[in-house]
Amino acid sequence: MGRVIAMRVLGSVGAVFGATVLAFMIMRVLPGNPARLILGPLATSQAVTALNHHIGLDQPLYTQYWRYISDFFQGNWGYSYSDGASVRKLIGERAPATIELALFSFVITMLAAVGLALLSTYRHRPITDRIVRGASYLGFGTPPFFLALLLLIVFFSTLHILPGPEGRLGVQAAAPAAVTRMYTIDALLAGELGTFWEALKHLILPGLALGISSFSFLVRLLRANLLEVSREPFITVARGKGLRRWTAFRRHALPNAFLPTLTAGGLVLGEFLAGSVLIERVFNWPGVGSLVFDAIVKQDYAIVQTFILLSAVMFVLVNLAVDLLYAVIDPRVRIPTVATA
Amino acid sequence: MDELALSVRNLSTVYDTGGSVVHAVRDVSFDLRRTERLGVVGESGSGKSALALSILGLIEPPGRVVEGEIVLGGRDISKLSDRQLGAVRGKEIALVLQDPSSALDPVKTIGSQIVEALTVHEPDLRRAAVRRRAAELLREVDISQAERRLDDYPHQYSGGMRQRVAIAIAIANNPRVLIADEPTTALDVTTQAQVLALLDRLVDEHRTAVILITHNLGIVSDFCDSVAVMYAGRFVETSGVDHIFVAPTHPYSEALLKCVPNPERLAEGPLPAISGFPPDLSQLPSGCSFAPRCPVGRDLPQCHEQAPVPHRVSGPAGEASVECHFAEQRIREVAV
Amino acid sequence: MGPGTLSIGEDVAAARPGGPPGPDRTSLSVRGGQALRAVLADRKLAVPLGVLALMVLFAIFMPIFWSHGPDKQDLINSLGSPSASHPLGTDQLGRDVLARVATGARISLVVATLVTLAGAIVGGLIGLFAGTLGGASDGVVMRVMDAILAFPPLILAMAVTVGLGIGLDTAAIGVSLVSVPWYARLLRSEALRIRSLPFIEAAHAMGATRGRIIARHVVPHMLPVLFIQMAAAFGYAVLALAGLSFVGLGAQVPTPEWGAMITEGLSYSLTGQWWISICPGVALLITVTAASMLSDRMRDLLDPRGQYARL
Repeated sequence: MGRVIAMRVLGSVGAVFGATVLAFMIMRVLPGNPARLILGPLATSQAVTALNHHIGLDQPLYTQYWRYISDFFQGNWGYSYSDGASVRKLIGERAPATIELALFSFVITMLAAVGLALLSTYRHRPITDRIVRGASYLGFGTPPFFLALLLLIVFFSTLHILPGPEGRLGVQAAAPAAVTRMYTIDALLAGELGTFWEALKHLILPGLALGISSFSFLVRLLRANLLEVSREPFITVARGKGLRRWTAFRRHALPNAFLPTLTAGGLVLGEFLAGSVLIERVFNWPGVGSLVFDAIVKQDYAIVQTFILLSAVMFVLVNLAVDLLYAVIDPRVRIPTVATA
Repeated sequence: MDELALSVRNLSTVYDTGGSVVHAVRDVSFDLRRTERLGVVGESGSGKSALALSILGLIEPPGRVVEGEIVLGGRDISKLSDRQLGAVRGKEIALVLQDPSSALDPVKTIGSQIVEALTVHEPDLRRAAVRRRAAELLREVDISQAERRLDDYPHQYSGGMRQRVAIAIAIANNPRVLIADEPTTALDVTTQAQVLALLDRLVDEHRTAVILITHNLGIVSDFCDSVAVMYAGRFVETSGVDHIFVAPTHPYSEALLKCVPNPERLAEGPLPAISGFPPDLSQLPSGCSFAPRCPVGRDLPQCHEQAPVPHRVSGPAGEASVECHFAEQRIREVAV
Repeated sequence: MGPGTLSIGEDVAAARPGGPPGPDRTSLSVRGGQALRAVLADRKLAVPLGVLALMVLFAIFMPIFWSHGPDKQDLINSLGSPSASHPLGTDQLGRDVLARVATGARISLVVATLVTLAGAIVGGLIGLFAGTLGGASDGVVMRVMDAILAFPPLILAMAVTVGLGIGLDTAAIGVSLVSVPWYARLLRSEALRIRSLPFIEAAHAMGATRGRIIARHVVPHMLPVLFIQMAAAFGYAVLALAGLSFVGLGAQVPTPEWGAMITEGLSYSLTGQWWISICPGVALLITVTAASMLSDRMRDLLDPRGQYARL
């Protein structure tokens, strides 16, 4: 087991190295004049020359690369040219909104995916199964930003039952005292149920839109796993012991079906990272995604580059965490087989 | 002494797969006395496994039991709800499956899977007591260091050991009837013999009646008291175990027996095979289902048009019930 | 099976003619041409193929026969709701939405096709050679693929457009790059699998050269999985290109690209003029859904056991 972990960690270090080299090549070497890219179109030529020297374009590539990543891992992410603030501060301020949205979306996505996968497999009901499969196709084909728009048109402009694109709270509501800076949690901590409800209502539509791709993927994966596992003889054996249908399913089919689903963790994070850029602007959600969106429009590349590199590192780390978790949970990986005849 | 453990009447099971209806079990009736060991033999696809699952009420959609009575210890269990059946399964009638590698949940410990079989029926048992009982069961199936090995996972056990665990689970509540579906097929020959010997000892000690499903006539002759030959979902010949080896009356039984490798006959050339293929269970012929392959009735209109009823015959090695138009004629020929 | 063991019909049943086609791995190893025929003959594929064909016809003929041009402004009739002369309404500049959606179909289908082909050719060749040559080149190439896979897909495409300069062309390069390791990994494992099949050994034994074996035997057997992957990647390409254009990294406003059109119509959607964004969105949804359905059903057909999965 120690060996397994060491190999996985080593592999992830390699992946981070590869990803940073790739990002360095794409965003620093290929553009030709990265200083212009970072400083933006309005920068003076003196500033460009100064930054070129500062980045060390006269240095050999490996020195440049070393500076690039050591700056990144030390948190020196540069400054936004449009408002002069440090990129680290900007991202830090915006992160709680994005994390809250992503967590909420993750929870409802998982609930919906698990629920529907169960519905389509627990009992043999071909029609339900067809509907669920169809929904997963449609979910995959629906671009998240388009779903965002549809949801707003239906639930805000037409039915008036959920708030429109006004960010995390309505105009009258005041943010709860900052603890985690996630409004739903802070509101609960402060005992402000009204604010909690308000924050929750604002989460629903962006949460649905953000989760759509992960949802359709997870439903398909879970459905396939559940179908496969529920045909296993050990389910019949469990039923033969006298276990009720649901009990046998819950104790033996679900754990075996969910275990491989863990490996989709990285994929889901990837969808959420990219999705936040696509979704947040539509809802005027003041998170990292809309920060990046605006930075793209203003060609404020220090922010965009940092976001990209951060995403890659988080992606690799989550994949590593999933691998390790898998090794801990699955006894077949955790405990080696001992041949005892 | 002759108290009935299990009585099955007119059991029929179909699988409704959209376009076609597969008749897996067709109107099967039999009795199982206390401590009797019935061998059910037949080719793969003859409905043996469907029969086992039907008796336990474990047929999953799109399959369903269309009719039949299953009387277990004097009570008809075929009309019970799933919840009521839960109290019967594992308690009065238990199951051992073919493939030990997939019969145990890979992510649960051996111990928890045995414990589960006990606590379903006695939820009030103390944890320590259940664990002690589980260890006893492991010892009973000859697993050494039972106490310690309760916490192992299935992948840490060998195939033979896993099958012993499956048997331990099956006998956990001392059931009246044990259904073993090809319990040794997936094991190597030495392990087969050991597992069979273990099963033999346990059912003897617990006075359990057994339905042993197999395609191995050698196992039947070693282990069983009576035998039923299954073909296309029906019991075509039912008798004491001696009869089938001495005077196989149904042409299919006879053909089956000829396929058993026999050292004395090796010189006569390769083993004969039964010509033709097992029938498609969704498109059964209207007459005798064996007629298209039958050396006797292949060309007889009677066999193709009219389904045979069971004939009771008496041969040199006891009585038999045979579904063949020529049963009496054939048993006379054997007797002569 | 030991002595005294009777095994009747086990093998006979497996070889039974006229029975249902068993879940047989070899069905993936049919030649590409046969696979294509099998795919075309299947009724389940008719829906996604038909939808995609209609979309192609729409993209080709609609702009030719429709009287309105995609960029023709008509400010007096701006923000007009769907009517007889403008079946999908007009946008904020009075441009005909139907004409723009049709032109957008041309852009999306053409660019996504190019992206798919580029990814398949580059990734496919990399996988083929990594799988057939093996050794150090295999190791190096696959590490590079791992580096690409260390990015969430859309984020890497964003990085490429940021690095190379914003535009539909760089977005296309970005999406192609993202898809390269999918093909490379897939075809590498296929090449390894096929290389170990007995008939390749037989070809070796008969004195065929390595190049000939690859060209005549390995490549044709890879085509089925390649087709499945390409259908999936095509859907992804349409989606990703629209996403990049939506955030402003791909096609730029006022290009009638679906994603860019949705961005343009965004602020009007909540004030009643829904058609400006919804129409290109629906076209996008139909195309991507049809492509993913096509890929899924091809997979069911060509790989019934489901041993191959993209993700």
